Amino acid sequence: MPTSRTGTRPSRPNRKAGKAARQLTGKPGMSTNLKVTLSVLGAALAVLLLVVAVNLTEPKPPAGAADVVREDSHRLSTAADGKVTIVEFLDFECEACGAAYPGVERLRAEYGDRITYVVRYFPIAGHPNAFNAAHAAEAAARQGKFEQMYVKLFDNQAAWGHTEESRAPVFEGYAAELGLDMAKFRADVTSTEVAERVKSDAADGTALGVQGTPTFFVNGEKFTDRPSYEALKAAVDKGLSE
Amino acid sequence: MTHDGTARPVITDRLIGWILTVGGPAGALAAFVLAVEKVALLKDPTYTPSCSINPILSCGSIMTTAQAEVFGFPNPLIGLAAFPVVAATGAAVLAGARLPRWWWLSLQAGALLGVVFVHWLFVQSLYRIGALCPYCMVVWVVMILIFSYLTLHNAERGHLPAPRRVTGALLAVHSTVPLLWLLILTGLIGVRFWDYWSTLL
Repeated sequence: MPTSRTGTRPSRPNRKAGKAARQLTGKPGMSTNLKVTLSVLGAALAVLLLVVAVNLTEPKPPAGAADVVREDSHRLSTAADGKVTIVEFLDFECEACGAAYPGVERLRAEYGDRITYVVRYFPIAGHPNAFNAAHAAEAAARQGKFEQMYVKLFDNQAAWGHTEESRAPVFEGYAAELGLDMAKFRADVTSTEVAERVKSDAADGTALGVQGTPTFFVNGEKFTDRPSYEALKAAVDKGLSE
Repeated sequence: MTHDGTARPVITDRLIGWILTVGGPAGALAAFVLAVEKVALLKDPTYTPSCSINPILSCGSIMTTAQAEVFGFPNPLIGLAAFPVVAATGAAVLAGARLPRWWWLSLQAGALLGVVFVHWLFVQSLYRIGALCPYCMVVWVVMILIFSYLTLHNAERGHLPAPRRVTGALLAVHSTVPLLWLLILTGLIGVRFWDYWSTLL
């Protein structure tokens, strides 16, 4: 091999020399990189454990503190005999809730005051206008028009749902159509009380194990079937016949 | 001992080769699954994607947003086209190919765009949409690993101009770079969805 060729590729690492250099300078055992990386990972795990430990030692509300229905829950209808109570945790922007809505309305029309029908808020952060819609419904509730706003929101879900921008102006329009006192509505819709009211429903839902919407409870029991009209009707009939 | 080319580099051909060879297909697979789920969702709007596990871990609520199609077509298509290039580069390096500087710089440019995009999506996911999508998170992790090691590799080999002292210091603790990076993102996720995580404890 001509000696001139060795000089043509100066950038090529000389493995033997490199190995020798490592042996001279490198310390035995773990490399610095591994040590530092493991230390950082260890520190992160320690922080995580600390957070979990602090959280676990904090006093928690006693089990059963969350009620399926509370005094202030919105009832669309109230049965005198109190035999059947359906509770729906819903998000006005959730498509599955919109899909269940016609069946629910059919059921409500059919049974009227023979069943207690309760709607509770469970807005999901993934829906950009879920909270705005819940706040609009709650603001309407403060003027005795919860049911009307609930109907408006679901009837028009396709028109306002699944857009990034705030649909609060659309909801104001619905409020105006319902003949609400607009000054009061505007004040309520942005108030912390209304926001807290929505949150407290959702907190109950979370404590009850609600993970998605709609989640129904029939007489306090979580309804696990698909909430079709037929399935809900069967549950209602069963409750009424008992 | 790492810069003059006479010693063995810290980011060896083997190391960068393996990172690209494993990272590329991992990213491509995640993009592929997302693309397939997107098609399923288009066929049937009531379809629940396999990664919609709970209100926070939910691909469905992410895939239907405008951010999921920033350039007018579903984002996963970008990953589907780009990650195989990363994989092929890794395989070529492992096979002993010596790639020219322009190749490494092109890959670096692609990785930079990718990592910037992924962080924009991270911000959107956390602070606009308010949900996480598991397959997207795979892409975030892969992108950060590829970008970290590719940049360190290119700086060490002199493909990228970089101050020696900074490069040397980072090379000495190379795996801490993506680790710290990912830990910061993990921390942000932990804080953002604290209300939800705390209910799981």
